[in-house]
Amino acid sequence: MNWALNNLELVIQLSITHLYVSLLPLLIGFVLAVVLARVVPERLVPSVTGTLGAIYAIPSLALFVTLPVLIGTNFVGPTNVLIALSLYAVAAMFFFARDAFGALPKATAEFARAQGLSPLQRFVYIELPLALPGLVSGARVTAASTISMASIGAVVGVRNLGYLFLDGFQRKIADEILTGLFAIFVLAIAIDLALWLVGKALTPWRRSINV
Amino acid sequence: MFDVPDFFGWLTEAANWEGRYGIPNLLSEHLRITLVSILLAALLALPIGIAIGHFQKGASLVVLLGSASRAIPTMGLLFALVMLLGIEMRDAAATIALMTIAFPPLLTGAYAGFSAIERHIIDSATAQGLTRWQLIRLVELPLSYPAIIGGFRVAWIQVVSTVVLAPLVGLGGLGFGIIQGLALRNFDQVVASALLIVLVTVIGDQLLGFAQKSQALRLGNLSGGKIK
Repeated sequence: MNWALNNLELVIQLSITHLYVSLLPLLIGFVLAVVLARVVPERLVPSVTGTLGAIYAIPSLALFVTLPVLIGTNFVGPTNVLIALSLYAVAAMFFFARDAFGALPKATAEFARAQGLSPLQRFVYIELPLALPGLVSGARVTAASTISMASIGAVVGVRNLGYLFLDGFQRKIADEILTGLFAIFVLAIAIDLALWLVGKALTPWRRSINV
Repeated sequence: MFDVPDFFGWLTEAANWEGRYGIPNLLSEHLRITLVSILLAALLALPIGIAIGHFQKGASLVVLLGSASRAIPTMGLLFALVMLLGIEMRDAAATIALMTIAFPPLLTGAYAGFSAIERHIIDSATAQGLTRWQLIRLVELPLSYPAIIGGFRVAWIQVVSTVVLAPLVGLGGLGFGIIQGLALRNFDQVVASALLIVLVTVIGDQLLGFAQKSQALRLGNLSGGKIK
């Protein structure tokens, strides 16, 4: 505990980087997954699912250092980590998004069409709001794993909370490692809570039916 | 264009296939530590998951453990345990850390498989005079195979990915090539090792996926093609 207090400034600085390298991929992954879930035609779904499943199976450190070969980025630095974490987030979110949209009652889409809404209007005003609860719970699961996975970025030179693991191990300071574990856990809980609140705020009609 | 590292050259270099840090030795270390941890975790997780699924008590515990485990960084867990148990005990510490990582998905898989079985199947098995033990062994367990294998699939991905970090705490495995290569700026070695890791992970995942699918198909055929 003393270690954390004596190094509070460092911990806060690392936490800010950590939030940045996890929330940006989460946002990118969320948007891409929602779009993919909506535009991929039914017959292509198995191959998209297979591809995303295979991406999800790749160990993160291996993906961090393979991306430079594929897209020509630098081996160290945040770019690979941001891209890799976005890919994982898309892969995880895609399944939730498909389930969320798939669970919508067929009749709603038909009513919306009968009212004269264009496909885009139908998506923005009808489907997206109705799918929000499912999307938000998917985002909460994805956020937790993205935040914990981001720490591995420290191995390729991103100074986030994972740095406390590497530095603590080298300098044999157990408290430093435990501080890192605790800080990441707190971040994950905070983001989870924030997403839950956002979900509640965006679906005011659900409050009346008590869920 | 940028320079593509000559990973193929590195892979075909005879010297990289020999000795303590040769590819065969690192690969066997990687597989050994992964499989031992998953099997030990399964010895604990499967009986507990089966018991919770069969008696339908303590389900909230499974859900809580499943969601809490996602928020714990596997890297930190590995580092903390090796640090706390001491570097001399690093093998045991890493195994415990990896077992902790494998435990929740295995538990969730077994529990989910047992919970998804429809009531009338269990009732008719009981009506046929099956004892509790026979019911578990002959009815519930076979019906749960796809979900249980699904648990092994998640455990495999998470453990095999964490073992990539093992060289950072003084252990071996295929991650060694990435860690050493990054330190020495030998990117041929980094990329070659990363590709080997991807290959091993994806092959394992696909094998388990194949087993899962064939079990689900077998069950589907038994029940006249209808399977959830």
